[in-house]
Amino acid sequence: MSTLAPASAALGDELLAELAQVVGDEQLLISKPARLHRARVPAPFPVHRWARHAPDAVVLPGSTEEVAAVVALANRFGVPVVPRCGGTGLTDGAVPLRGGILLDVKRLDWIGEVDVDNRAVTVGAGVNMLKLNEVLAAHGLIYPDDPASYPCSQIGGRIGTSGWSLVGSRYGHTRDLVLSFVHVLPTGRVIEVGDGGGRKLSKSSSGYQLKHLLMGHQGTLGVATEATLKLYPKPEAELSPFWAYEDYDSAYQAVRRLAHADVATFAGAVLFDEQKVAYLRRDDEAYIPQPENVRALTCAVLYGNEDEVRAGGRRLFRIARDAGARYLGDEISEGDWAARHDRYATPLHGRTKAGQVVPMSWHCEDAAVNWTQLPAVRDAWHGIVAELRRRSDVFDDWGMFAYTSTRTGLDYLTEIDVGIWEQELSDETWAMWVEAKRRIAEVAVAHGGSISTCHGSCREGEVDVVPSELGGAFDVMREIKRTLDPRNVMNPGKYLLDEAYEEGAA
Amino acid sequence: MRTFRHADERRPPAARRASDVAITRFDHVYEVDPRLMEEHVAQQAIPNWDTLRIADGRHDHLDWMHRHWCETVVSGEQLLAEVEADG
Repeated sequence: MSTLAPASAALGDELLAELAQVVGDEQLLISKPARLHRARVPAPFPVHRWARHAPDAVVLPGSTEEVAAVVALANRFGVPVVPRCGGTGLTDGAVPLRGGILLDVKRLDWIGEVDVDNRAVTVGAGVNMLKLNEVLAAHGLIYPDDPASYPCSQIGGRIGTSGWSLVGSRYGHTRDLVLSFVHVLPTGRVIEVGDGGGRKLSKSSSGYQLKHLLMGHQGTLGVATEATLKLYPKPEAELSPFWAYEDYDSAYQAVRRLAHADVATFAGAVLFDEQKVAYLRRDDEAYIPQPENVRALTCAVLYGNEDEVRAGGRRLFRIARDAGARYLGDEISEGDWAARHDRYATPLHGRTKAGQVVPMSWHCEDAAVNWTQLPAVRDAWHGIVAELRRRSDVFDDWGMFAYTSTRTGLDYLTEIDVGIWEQELSDETWAMWVEAKRRIAEVAVAHGGSISTCHGSCREGEVDVVPSELGGAFDVMREIKRTLDPRNVMNPGKYLLDEAYEEGAA
Repeated sequence: MRTFRHADERRPPAARRASDVAITRFDHVYEVDPRLMEEHVAQQAIPNWDTLRIADGRHDHLDWMHRHWCETVVSGEQLLAEVEADG
């Protein structure tokens, strides 16, 4: 690992003194652990180059005003500033590429007014959804934004990444659930964005839709500091049946029928392919004892009033039965679904080709893919990962999922899970991984999809495909970046946006 | 109620094969076949009570997650029986 320069050498004593004035001495962190701890996210990381991604200093502001003052300082001194919430994102939005100031918003963890009549709440960007829902439960309400990092991710990060929710087919995703937010632009200017000028409106036709522009930018267009959220009644009932099939094709056809059933309480359906079931058979207590003819799975999830969940559930059971499915039972169904709210707590290991257990980190490449394209994308992706595995034991194919993104069954969050033995990564194997990511992204785009449903697309490899995915819209994206961030201080180096500042850039 | 004798806790029940790559010593608790944990990751010696505590803790967590998200979990087995009774 390369050495870490002292904060004063990288930023200068004058800037450090001014940062301390803004946030207080205790909230300016310059120790090596504080900086190295905020260098990475849970996605595979080139650990042999760890220090390259460390920020020069960390600040933990306690208010929107302090965030704005830090960003203004970054502009005055021409120093990068990288926003970070839970640090659970999988496309490196919170990973510094040029050092600078890391702006950690965890102290913005307040929960404000719970508006029971209008079903809305205003919170700080550092609030975690699980903790928020513990408070809302006392009012019979829930904020149903449900990523796999549910117990540890935070509202601000969900806005910065425009997150996808496991139960989004019922309740919508982050972009639908966040009604408005306070946003610090890259120059330090503070604005409020939502539907029109109201904080608690779900639909307005007044003005540009800036709310969507300022979501999913991976910290390149500023920092959300507080948000007003749409709430639902806490569901009376849940149903999460898992069904088994003898082959992928049967499960693939069945998931379409489940999604097309138009059940009002339908919150999502999931398709597990044969490689995923093979992976689960290694280590998952639910699947180790399953008979050999269990080779692919679907599940469906329903939330809502109990009578409606029961009626919808009976309809889906009839559909599954007619599709040749076998119900796996309540214990597996309920346990597996409950575990999906909390995938980041799962200890992970993979196998060498000889079958020996090795410690691995989990990475999922996700894409948005239409149902008709799922088999072709699946074949191509497994081929890419199989080639990686043939070349190195650092990589392991952990199979694929496809989750409905919407209740009509239009498109699916399609992911291939790849185990990576990080301790054994080298420049050579990292380059193999980056090339594989590029090819995985190209497959998604070539099949009419998008590189990412959920994580974003600004990591090495995949980011090279963004201009071809977005076409002329990518040129506009660069123009917006240069207009809102004239000094390129806000999370520089991401999304190929440095090109916006090159001479002659449109 | 479980009893606790220190010496017994250090003697796990005999392993039964659960699959080509897994064994089991307690009902519904599975372990990676020890032969697959010889080169890169060594198996830890865990007393019986701790193995069961970890497994129970996992179930407690999953039960908590259900209560966190809803008031009632509908039984799929019951719905399936109703559907089959309807023909």
